[in-house]
Amino acid sequence: MKTRKFALLSLAVAVCLLLLTLQTRGYGARAADALAAVTTPIQTGIARAHRVAFSAWETYLDWKNVRAENGRLREENQQLRVEGLLVRETDDENRRLRRLLALQERLPLTTVSGEIIARDWGGWMRALTVNRGRGDNISRHTAVISPDGLVGRVVEVRPGASIVQVLTDPASTVGAHVLRTRAPGIVEGEPSGVLRFKYMSRDGAQIQVGDVLVSSGQGGMFPRGIPVGRVRSIDDRGTALFHYAILEPAVNFSRVDDVLLVTGESRQDLAGFFPSDG
Amino acid sequence: MRTLLVLTVLGGGVAHATVAPALGIAGVTPDLPLIVVVLLALRRGPEFGCAAGFAAGLLQDAAGGGLIGVQALTKAVLGFVIGAAGSRLSVTQPLVQVPGLVILTVAEGLARFALLKMFNFSAPFSELMFYVVLPQALYNGFLGALLVVALAWIESLRARTS
Repeated sequence: MKTRKFALLSLAVAVCLLLLTLQTRGYGARAADALAAVTTPIQTGIARAHRVAFSAWETYLDWKNVRAENGRLREENQQLRVEGLLVRETDDENRRLRRLLALQERLPLTTVSGEIIARDWGGWMRALTVNRGRGDNISRHTAVISPDGLVGRVVEVRPGASIVQVLTDPASTVGAHVLRTRAPGIVEGEPSGVLRFKYMSRDGAQIQVGDVLVSSGQGGMFPRGIPVGRVRSIDDRGTALFHYAILEPAVNFSRVDDVLLVTGESRQDLAGFFPSDG
Repeated sequence: MRTLLVLTVLGGGVAHATVAPALGIAGVTPDLPLIVVVLLALRRGPEFGCAAGFAAGLLQDAAGGGLIGVQALTKAVLGFVIGAAGSRLSVTQPLVQVPGLVILTVAEGLARFALLKMFNFSAPFSELMFYVVLPQALYNGFLGALLVVALAWIESLRARTS
């Protein structure tokens, strides 16, 4: 057993010394060629394994990097979306408040601005709650307007808030006239959420689809000339005394957020202070 | 034994070609085949150490482009000596492993230098030792110790699970 071990060592040493001697005596090329015949395939295999290992490792690293970057970008994207929404919301609010302020400044009326804090949008009642109440000099029947037109009237005043009956409430009635022809009538709320203009046929024969209606100011509850709606269709009742027109409200009641509560009186026609297209 | 020998030589070769360059610190790379040969010679004895050292050294010689047979000879002798002395050495402690591998690497470097000198190699001894052999010996020592600790941990884990 011991002899075998030393034989193996002697053989290895002898082969190495032979190889070295051959190389130094000028047979290096042959010895190298002979060795290369054995080692080249092994080296090729090792190089291939090296390439495969590194390629797999690099693929893994790339995948890991891409994954990490993907996660980071997702997070950044989400944050930017939220920021974008906040900016858009702030921008919208700013625009709304600017419009409201501009209206408040140009109207020859004493008004108090208010924010809608609740909406009652059931079929029976259509009402908004404004954050202005008894302490803000608000009384029952105070007119409520927005930069687009008439919103409604205050029907209930509480310490810090008021309930506003909007024009589409089935119990709401407003005296109004057609801006173009001055034909008078009454605008009533409909359970379906639209407005109906009731007028006498002999006065309103020239009413057309698209006509703008404004408050008439009669009765003193609403100032004169505030846009109420636009004629969407005409319900011609032939020879009947009263005819009807269906109106598109000037104000989108479901989206109105800020309003003005009219606390002072004015006999002036306010139609010129609102957008001419109603 | 043959399969293990082939795996050792090829595994050491692959590791030397792939991992060693990546492990380089300030231009110093470990001699992974040397570490593998030493560790396996300690476990498998002088015959295995000699054969593995010869084959691994031959591959390194062929890959290096220098005189073929130098590293084959030094590693074969080293594998044999370590394999023969393995049973008498206590190598489970890192305090033994690190200086042990450092000394072996330096010894291999000295043997290689002596051989090359015999065959008209003209490199300055001190510079070769100071810039090449000693840094590599230190690196081999620490890396080998880490490898021994890792192997011992794996074995204890296997023993606990079986």
